[in-house]
Amino acid sequence: MKFKRSFKIALNIIFHSKVRSWLTILGIVIGIAAIVAIVSIGQGAQQALAQSLNSLNANIITVSPGFSRAAGAGAGFRGGFGGGQDFGGFGNARSGSSQKNLTARDVLLLNSISNVEVATGYISGGVDKVTYLGKTARVNIEGIDPAVMKDIVTTDLSTGRYLVKGDSGSVVIGGRIANSTFSNIDINRMIVIGGKNFRIVGILQQSGGNDDAKIYMPIESAVTIIDGKVKDNYDSVLVKIKDITLTDDTVTKITNTLMASHTILANKNPDFTVTSLKSVQQRVTSTLSSQSLFLSAIAAISLIVGAIGIMNTMFTSVLEKTREIGVLKALGAKNTDILTIFLLNSGIIGFIGGVFGVLLGVLSSGYVASISGVSLGGGGRMGLATAYVSPQLIIGVFTISILVGLISGAIPAYRASRLRPIEALRSE
Amino acid sequence: MNSVIHLQDVWKRYDMGKAGGLSVLKEVNLDIKQGDFIAITGPSGSGKSTIMHIIGALDVPTHGEVFLQGNSVRLMGQNTLATLRSKTIGFIFQQFNLLPTFSALENVMIPLELIDTPDAEAKERAEALLKMMGLGERLHHKPTELSGGQQQRVAIARALANNPDVILADEPTGNLDSTTGRFVMDFLSRLNEQGKTVILVTHELSLVSYAQRVIYIRDGRIEKEITNKRPKKLS
Repeated sequence: MKFKRSFKIALNIIFHSKVRSWLTILGIVIGIAAIVAIVSIGQGAQQALAQSLNSLNANIITVSPGFSRAAGAGAGFRGGFGGGQDFGGFGNARSGSSQKNLTARDVLLLNSISNVEVATGYISGGVDKVTYLGKTARVNIEGIDPAVMKDIVTTDLSTGRYLVKGDSGSVVIGGRIANSTFSNIDINRMIVIGGKNFRIVGILQQSGGNDDAKIYMPIESAVTIIDGKVKDNYDSVLVKIKDITLTDDTVTKITNTLMASHTILANKNPDFTVTSLKSVQQRVTSTLSSQSLFLSAIAAISLIVGAIGIMNTMFTSVLEKTREIGVLKALGAKNTDILTIFLLNSGIIGFIGGVFGVLLGVLSSGYVASISGVSLGGGGRMGLATAYVSPQLIIGVFTISILVGLISGAIPAYRASRLRPIEALRSE
Repeated sequence: MNSVIHLQDVWKRYDMGKAGGLSVLKEVNLDIKQGDFIAITGPSGSGKSTIMHIIGALDVPTHGEVFLQGNSVRLMGQNTLATLRSKTIGFIFQQFNLLPTFSALENVMIPLELIDTPDAEAKERAEALLKMMGLGERLHHKPTELSGGQQQRVAIARALANNPDVILADEPTGNLDSTTGRFVMDFLSRLNEQGKTVILVTHELSLVSYAQRVIYIRDGRIEKEITNKRPKKLS
C-alpha cells in the first residue's frame, strides 16, 4: 500500500476517536513538557552560571592557607577580588593539617613561575570604627598591593581611580558603602578608619558582588588597622596568569613550588589550598548537571506513563478496527501494510505530543525560571531570568517523543498485522 | 477450460477444547473453471461460508489442498496470498464491509492502491466503476450517507477494481430490497457473460437459478451438484 494512503488511514483512526486520542496525546505532552522545562531550566542555569563566572577573573588562581581534601575542586574560593558572585558553599577550606600563613617569600616564588603574570598577597578583616561625616559603621577592609590593584580587581570604577604604586593613606570604596552605608561620599574626601585618616581616591560601581561592601587600601596600612595581622603574612595570595589554557599546569607548578618552599614531602598533605576559577566552574556545572539529570529522570517517569497510555490506546484501536483490518486483508493488504498503518498511528500520536509538549515545556520553563531561583549547591543561589531551550533539546525531545510513540505502538501494531483475515472479518 | 480453483479432499475442523472437535467441512472436492457461475447453497450452518473463505484464501483447510490458478495455497506465504487475493479475487460481502471513514471513491481506490497503481490511474478507474454502478453523483459520500443498495454497489465496484478473474459473493442480496437485489444479480450475470468466474454463496433458492452449477452443502459435505442447463438471463 502507498505510504500516503497508510498515513491517511492512520490519521483517520486518530481523528475518529478524538477524545481517546487527545487524552493519550496529553500523557505524552505532560512528559515531554516536563523534560523540556527541566532540561532548559538546567541549561539556562548553566549558561547564567558561566556568564557569572566569566565576569569574574577567569585568569585568577587563589592560594589559601590550610588544606582541604576538596581543594582540587575549588574549596575556599572567594569571589572577593572578582567582584561577582559569592559561592558560599565552597568556602571554609581550612580543615587540614598544620596551617601556615602565606608569606612575602611565597609571593616572590610564585611571581617567578613562567605563566604567572603577577602574584600578590592580601589580607582582610572587619574594622568596627569606620567614620565618615560623623556616621560610624563596621566595614570589611581589604589590604592589597596597590601596584597590582587594577590587575586583580575587576569591578569597574564609578569615579576616581584604583590604588597605584606609591599610594599611602589612600582608599578605594565599594559601591554600596558609598551609596548606602554612608552618604555624600566623593573622591578626595577623607574617611576615618580605625582612628586613621584616609583619602578616598576611587569609588567602585555597585555591582551586587562582594566588592560593594569593601574598602581597599594598601596592605602596609591594612596591617596596622586590622587586628591580628602581621607584616608579610597574607590571608591569601592571588595569582593572575597569562594563559588560562595552562591553568591546570600552573596550579600544579604553584603547588609544587609552595610544597618545596614549605618543605612538605610529596606524599604529605600541603598546608595550603590552590583554587582556580576553572575548577569552581567545573564543580558547580557538575552539580547542576546532576540536578538536571535527577529531575529529568523524574520527568521520564511521566513519559513512561504516557507511553503506557499510547499502548493502551493502540490495543483499543486494534480491537475496534479488527473488522476493518480483516476487510483490508481480504482486499489484498499485506501484514506490513497493517503494521505500517498502526505504527504510523502511534508515531503520529508521539509527534503531536512532542509538538505540544515542547510548546508547553518552553512556556512553563520560562515561567518557572522567572519566578524562582536555581540553587547552586552549598547554599549559593542564583536567580534566572530565562531558561535556555537549545535546538538540540528540541530535536532530541521530538525524536524521543516519536520513538516513544513507535515503541509503544509496536506490539499492538504487530498483533494487528498478524491477525488472520477470516478471524478479523468475523469480529463484531 | 482451465481450472481456476480446485479443492481436493478439503476438511476444516475446529478444535473445541474438551468438547472435542467440530468438522465443518468434510471431504470437499470441487473444481471451478474459468467462466463458471457457481452457486453454493445449503441450510444455515452447513459450511457454505467456510467453503467461500477457503476458496478466497481467507482461511486455510485443516486437511486437503486448495489450488488457485494451479498454485497450491498451502505453499504460498502470507504476502503472496495477499497479492493473489488482490489481483485474482473480488469479494462482495453481505455486510458490504466498506471502510466507514472513507468516501465511496476512496473505498474503491483501496484495492488499486494495495497493488501500487498510480494515483491518477486509480482515481480514474474508481470513478469509472462507480459511474458504471450509477453512483457518479455519490463519489465523495461516506458509506453512512448511502443507502444499503448504494453501499452494495460501491462494494461491487470495489470488487471489480483490480479486474479480478473471480468474483466471490457471500449473500450479496441479503441486506437489500428485491429491486436492488435483482440489480445485483443481473450485474453478476453480466460479469459472468463477460468471462468472469462468479461464485455465489446464498441460502436463497431463488438466486441459484442464475448459476450454471448449483452445489448443495449439508453438514459440511457436498450433498449434490446440479447443472442448470438454462440459467436465468438478465431481467
